[in-house]
Amino acid sequence: MRFSQRVFCGELAAGDAGRAVQLAGWVDAFRDHGGLLFVHLRDRSGIIQVVFSPEIASAEVCRQAAGLRAEYCIAVTGEVRKRREGTENPNIETGGIEVMASGLTVLSESDALPFAVSDKAMTAGGASARREAVSEELRLEYRYLDLRRAPMRDNLVARHRIFQCVRRFLDSRGFIEIETPVLTMSTPEGARDYLVPSRVHPGNFYALPQSPQLFKQLLMIGGMERYFQLARCFRDEDLRPNRQPEFTQLDLEASFVDEEVLYGLIEELTVEMFAVGGIELPRPFPRMTYEEAMETTGSDRPDLRFGLRFVDVTDVFPGTGYAIFRRIIEAGGCIKGINVKGQSGRLSKNVLQNEYAKEIVPSFGGRGMTWMRAEGGRLDSNIVQFFSADELDALRRKLDVADGDVLILIADASRKTVTSVLGQLRLHLAERLGLIPGGGFSPVWVTEFPLFEATEEGGVTSSHHPFTAPDRTDFDPKNVGELLSLRSRAYDLVMNGEELGGGSIRISDRDLQRKIFAALGLGEEETREKFGFFLRAFDFGAPPHGGLALGMDRTVSMILGTPSIREVIAFPKNRSAACPMTGAPAKVKREQLAELGLLNLGGTEPLRGTGGDGNLVDHLSWVSRIGVGAGERPAVEEALGQAEELAAAAGRNAGTEEPVRTVVPVANRMRPGDEARRSELAESGKLLESAPEVKGGYFKVAGILE
Amino acid sequence: MESVFVYRNPEPAPPGDGTLAGLRVAVQPNISVTGWPTEAGSRALERYRAVEDATLIRRLRTAGAHLCGSTRMSEFGFGLEGSRAGESVALTEADAELVLDLMGECRAAGLRAGVCAYKPSYGLISRLGLIGLIPSMESCGILSGSVDVIRRLLAVMAGPDGLDFSLPEEPVPDFSPGACRAAAVIGVLAEARDSLPETERRAFDSVLGEIESAGFALRELSLPEYALFPLVHGIVGSVEASSSAGRYDSVRYGVRAPGAGNWNDMYLESRREAFGLVVKSYLLQGAFFQFKRYGAYEDACRIRARLLLGMDRLLGQADLLVLPAPGAAPSAGRLGEVLASFDPSMFANVTGQPVLCLPADEQGGAGFQLAGARRGDARVLEAGERLLNLRGRE
Repeated sequence: MRFSQRVFCGELAAGDAGRAVQLAGWVDAFRDHGGLLFVHLRDRSGIIQVVFSPEIASAEVCRQAAGLRAEYCIAVTGEVRKRREGTENPNIETGGIEVMASGLTVLSESDALPFAVSDKAMTAGGASARREAVSEELRLEYRYLDLRRAPMRDNLVARHRIFQCVRRFLDSRGFIEIETPVLTMSTPEGARDYLVPSRVHPGNFYALPQSPQLFKQLLMIGGMERYFQLARCFRDEDLRPNRQPEFTQLDLEASFVDEEVLYGLIEELTVEMFAVGGIELPRPFPRMTYEEAMETTGSDRPDLRFGLRFVDVTDVFPGTGYAIFRRIIEAGGCIKGINVKGQSGRLSKNVLQNEYAKEIVPSFGGRGMTWMRAEGGRLDSNIVQFFSADELDALRRKLDVADGDVLILIADASRKTVTSVLGQLRLHLAERLGLIPGGGFSPVWVTEFPLFEATEEGGVTSSHHPFTAPDRTDFDPKNVGELLSLRSRAYDLVMNGEELGGGSIRISDRDLQRKIFAALGLGEEETREKFGFFLRAFDFGAPPHGGLALGMDRTVSMILGTPSIREVIAFPKNRSAACPMTGAPAKVKREQLAELGLLNLGGTEPLRGTGGDGNLVDHLSWVSRIGVGAGERPAVEEALGQAEELAAAAGRNAGTEEPVRTVVPVANRMRPGDEARRSELAESGKLLESAPEVKGGYFKVAGILE
Repeated sequence: MESVFVYRNPEPAPPGDGTLAGLRVAVQPNISVTGWPTEAGSRALERYRAVEDATLIRRLRTAGAHLCGSTRMSEFGFGLEGSRAGESVALTEADAELVLDLMGECRAAGLRAGVCAYKPSYGLISRLGLIGLIPSMESCGILSGSVDVIRRLLAVMAGPDGLDFSLPEEPVPDFSPGACRAAAVIGVLAEARDSLPETERRAFDSVLGEIESAGFALRELSLPEYALFPLVHGIVGSVEASSSAGRYDSVRYGVRAPGAGNWNDMYLESRREAFGLVVKSYLLQGAFFQFKRYGAYEDACRIRARLLLGMDRLLGQADLLVLPAPGAAPSAGRLGEVLASFDPSMFANVTGQPVLCLPADEQGGAGFQLAGARRGDARVLEAGERLLNLRGRE
């Protein structure tokens, strides 16, 4: 078989009529009209109708064509012709033409499919048919078939286009693509590393990079000036719905730049990437300090597609008659409010009091919520009588209240609680009231993050990483209060409430770096051990530099509007960080562990219950959680001796029969009914009656950990 | 002396005219009867009262039986240490008593009390609401002076139960005497007979004479691997027991050791107190097979397959089998001795076949076991009833 003349199905057009072509691809669908066979042939470019007619094709070709089934891989030769009027198929791009086959080669056959590949909407008259729902687990197990389907194919093609756009753009701005190692040292990113054991250095491990952070900074010190990489990064994090243990980030670093240069560059790049998906982003992107974001949206990644910003109204209520507010203000707390414009029709007293105040706000960690509805020129609420007319007037002015508005106030002695609760309420209300415009995109730079966060031990830790530059350098590394007031030169790019990426201007001055380590409480010895090779590089003329990393899976997913990032990754892991197709992660042979020196790691002290060499009674007692008293030991030891004899005798006498575990036919049963329900015995409390300890309607047990 | 009963039903016999009306049935406290203390002889279930009826109890109630009380039992019904099973019938305090047969306990109790004991085919009676230990082997046994009472109880209790997931979906056989071809040929298992000491062999041989004179043809049969039944039971039984006993966590019921600082220690210490030494040794044997010699469990299941085939072959050559009765179970002792005393009865728990055990009679006739094919309960009961009637007439 030669494919030199092959053309792509989706690229044929009316102008090709009369042309002899060779096509290759998969049988998407077929219809047999009594001797006349219509096949939808699909390759990556699209679909074309191929007609096998006894008037054109030989009897042998027609006979072979009659045996075609879905997803057979075939090659066809034939002639393009315009379809007869009235037989066009508007559902496929090549619907005005078809190929009259003269030759057919079946390249390989297909088994029955675990799910349909063909999009039925493509066949004529099938425009209304919906794609059948296939479970994601099954799609992942047969990902290669899933990739043949149009949505995945389109997503991967679009991903490629976006990646190409990144490369072209950055190349045009003088960035060069450099690969950094995947087998490396642990980097200070805060998540768990994936470790790779070294065979030649038994007991030693490489770490897979959580990001190429150190290497990209070393590239700057190495004079590369402008670097980028579409880097694979690895984080062994707890499972979260939209995370992957490995992900792709656009990693970028530049020397002799400041924030403004990077903002401009990244904005241009982002605009171009989103343009691939037909999305226009306005420039410049707005900016918001961390403090403003927290104080007005309760989040460091604010969703700015809708309003509902918080307004601080603490100063409306000094010396108020409403005792709850007065006590909170006296305790140094604050009161913030949201004006939900024109929604009083949908937020009734009942909803506000019984749902929001009683259920939703407590579930967000709030202690209480105050609401007011503006109607007939006045504010109405269950507690409005506690406020003076002046207070209510001031509130109306501050929150710009008109009839039909609903005010929601949260007051708490802790400012953090106020913003956190209101932040969750803001999203909840926007979602519930449909305030988020579809198809809208609101980028924002969040800036001026705190450089440090307080630790429980009274010290500080880096909010980002210890190489982030502070906003000023004249601080006292021993003054915790001052350290906590420092801002960093870090910035996050946030879109629609999701963090697409972030970065910072780095520290390039070695004295400043030492000061930061001193603030973190890391001694000379410890810093040398952790970052020695890295810090040494700063002794040789490090240039000022900064950069950023963008999560590409998330960015592409947002541009394409897919429900999860798995839709834009060819072979993703599932929600349990496993691959249903390959079965990874999997157990390995003991021999392999032995070769890697992994059998006896962690010292000679065996973990409780794993001690193969320990006392047999102790071991079994622990694994079955049955204590054995000293007086009981002789009898138990005797029994275990007998068990050993039984095991040996079983080994001598066993044949090759299939093991029998039950003497009756196995019956598969489902409990009647299809809804989960609480047992009546639990409902009535009867189940608890025999329990040794009960607390508050539950079985009481010891803590899992001490 | 302690009472045979741990609990007596204060309510009078129910009125009514069901098939079991007027029949007094004693149970053991490992069978759930709503509101009754159901400690299964173990501190692991200390103070536990059943919250609903076992399926078989529900059926007995519907048929009009009078549940008269529950009797003293061994821990989880494993062995007979501390058990008074069978005495309620011998003392005519009950017309029948239900005793779980894990490795022959029901049959051994019948021999001890001098009453008939029946272990039904595995898979006939729902185990829902029974506190068991060896799910693939145990059956709810019936003790009574009358084979007909056994038959009537069986007919009421047997039958599908959608809530017992281990119960097969098989139709309920007809247990009435005329429902099957009566047994004509009874096989004598040579290996079982030859394993007896001299005096017991002579007693067994006189039983064989009795059977022959009752009109049955005897046929000597051989199952060379007969000695492997205790091996299979020992491994499979202990593994299942150790898994089953995992549920005794001192959370929902049972003794809770005080002062445990964490979850693991709560288990370890509570379960130290919960189990007696025989059961504890057995559970640790099960743990040994599971954690140290898992291959032995697989091996035992393979041998079990072979023994099932062997038993099928024998029952193709004879209608029923006669085997010697198990010896007396020790009232106390270590696990090894307890298990050994049940060697002659374990076969039926491994294969799930029905066995009627007739006690020794007053004229010196020894006790013996009459075994049939699984689900051939009617034939076993019919032949057993004939032999029992003959004994009564002498």
